[in-house]
Amino acid sequence: METTELLEILNGIFRKVLKRDDITLTEGTTAHDVNGWDSLTNMILISEIENKFGIRFSFREIVKLKNVGDLCHTIKNKIK
Amino acid sequence: MSFISLEFVLLLLLCFTLYHFVSDKGRKFVLLAASGVFIGYFNLVFLVMALFASFFTYGAAILVEQAHEKKRGSRMIYWSSISCLILCWIGFRYANQLTGESSFIFPLGMSFYTFQAIGYLTEVYWDEEKAERHPIDFLLYMLLFMKFLSGPIERSTDLLPQLRRLTPASYSMMTYGLKLIVVGLVKKLIIADHIGPYIDGVFNSMHAASGVQLFMACLLYPIELYADFSGYTDMAIGTGMLFGLKLSPNFAHPFAAQTTAEFWRRWHISLSSWVRDYLFLPLSSFTRRWGQWGMAASLLVTFIALGIWHGAGWTFAIYGFIQGLVIVWELRTEKIRNKVRKHIGKRLFSTLSVIRTYLIFAVSLVFFKAQSVSDAFYFLRNISFQTHASWKEINIGMSDHICIVAGSALLLILLYDFFMSKSDLLLRFEKQPAVFRWTVYYLIVLAVFVYGKFGTENFIYLQF
Repeated sequence: METTELLEILNGIFRKVLKRDDITLTEGTTAHDVNGWDSLTNMILISEIENKFGIRFSFREIVKLKNVGDLCHTIKNKIK
Repeated sequence: MSFISLEFVLLLLLCFTLYHFVSDKGRKFVLLAASGVFIGYFNLVFLVMALFASFFTYGAAILVEQAHEKKRGSRMIYWSSISCLILCWIGFRYANQLTGESSFIFPLGMSFYTFQAIGYLTEVYWDEEKAERHPIDFLLYMLLFMKFLSGPIERSTDLLPQLRRLTPASYSMMTYGLKLIVVGLVKKLIIADHIGPYIDGVFNSMHAASGVQLFMACLLYPIELYADFSGYTDMAIGTGMLFGLKLSPNFAHPFAAQTTAEFWRRWHISLSSWVRDYLFLPLSSFTRRWGQWGMAASLLVTFIALGIWHGAGWTFAIYGFIQGLVIVWELRTEKIRNKVRKHIGKRLFSTLSVIRTYLIFAVSLVFFKAQSVSDAFYFLRNISFQTHASWKEINIGMSDHICIVAGSALLLILLYDFFMSKSDLLLRFEKQPAVFRWTVYYLIVLAVFVYGKFGTENFIYLQF
């Protein structure tokens, strides 16, 4: 799956969970850049992403995610 | 040795002078010696305990890292080290309850350095941080005197790099630090210490107090706690700056928070971010398959733990439980709140939300402050606008002089906080003409000496 395609899917998940239509993610986007993406919503986002792609992140993988680019990279590795 | 004591001023002056005259290597020893004197001055046992915890953590982190490299046994070493630190902390914290004696003294600063040690070990275990190999640097990270008693709970990633390369403070950093110390003194001496005894009086004799006195004590206690603890933090951060060190901020205009979740991102930040990263994150990761219920359970457990960190007893657990419960409720009612916001307008909604958040915190603090759960419930049940004799009781015994002095100082501090949240007021102030700046400096220092209440050296958070 291409990164652009992945970002589109993630945009949809983020918009649905955070209830905001103005979210456009890039690989460099971090939690600081998105209103409402905080420690309370992070795990709901992770859970939604896991359900969407049928994958499961380990806790250590979650800790290592620093931005959306890391997230895309980890998802790609898991769905290979 | 309190921050507001002659002994501390002498130690600080001596340490500051030596620090800026010795070689690069010598600076570490000056700070370490000052920290040892500072801690040992209270009680030598406190120093021994802190040294023991520091060396234990230092060794455990290296073992975790080595085991991690060999891909064998790091989990066991990590969990047994964490268990030792927590058991030791619980043992001292609950020693009086467990043994039925009251002779055990909880070592000062233990809650803070234990949490710092657990955070550091966790970062090493998660492979986010390298284990520190220089014992002097690590001892300084654990024992640094300005943050030893009541934090901020420093992250190793923030403080250790600064300690490895200690440099003299620049002139601007020193003056900024001095200004912070003065702001801290104003908060502590003109607000907290003036209103504190009267609030204590109401809590200590709540059965004799009128409804309106209970109401006022409930409303004022968050202000006292804020002035006391953020005053301490300002002094700690300011003192750090005199040595070129940037300690973590602990407060960010907390009474402007519109929700309790936001409040905890602004109040005692070093503790709330600690429990977020090392407790809530693992818990919510584990419970994420249960959706909203998992999130709610993680929040409640996290905040109850945060409450219990403050001390033994159900009062602190309930204090934490209330915070967790309100945040869960806020998450569940976000849609309704958004509708209300659209209906009544953003400005009115924001104002009401700020008041609501403050009141919830004030009510929860009754549990934090009361000696027992039954006392706390009695206090809350009897809050009213009723008086015993006259409306004068609304000042809970404070003289008009104290009301005016502490009230004016509070207004100034809230304005200061507000402008600091917009841009750095202290840096902007530096650009003003020298005559104006020095007039303000003299006026504030004069106000501290004239209106400050000296003689009380204790800070509320020392007991934790």
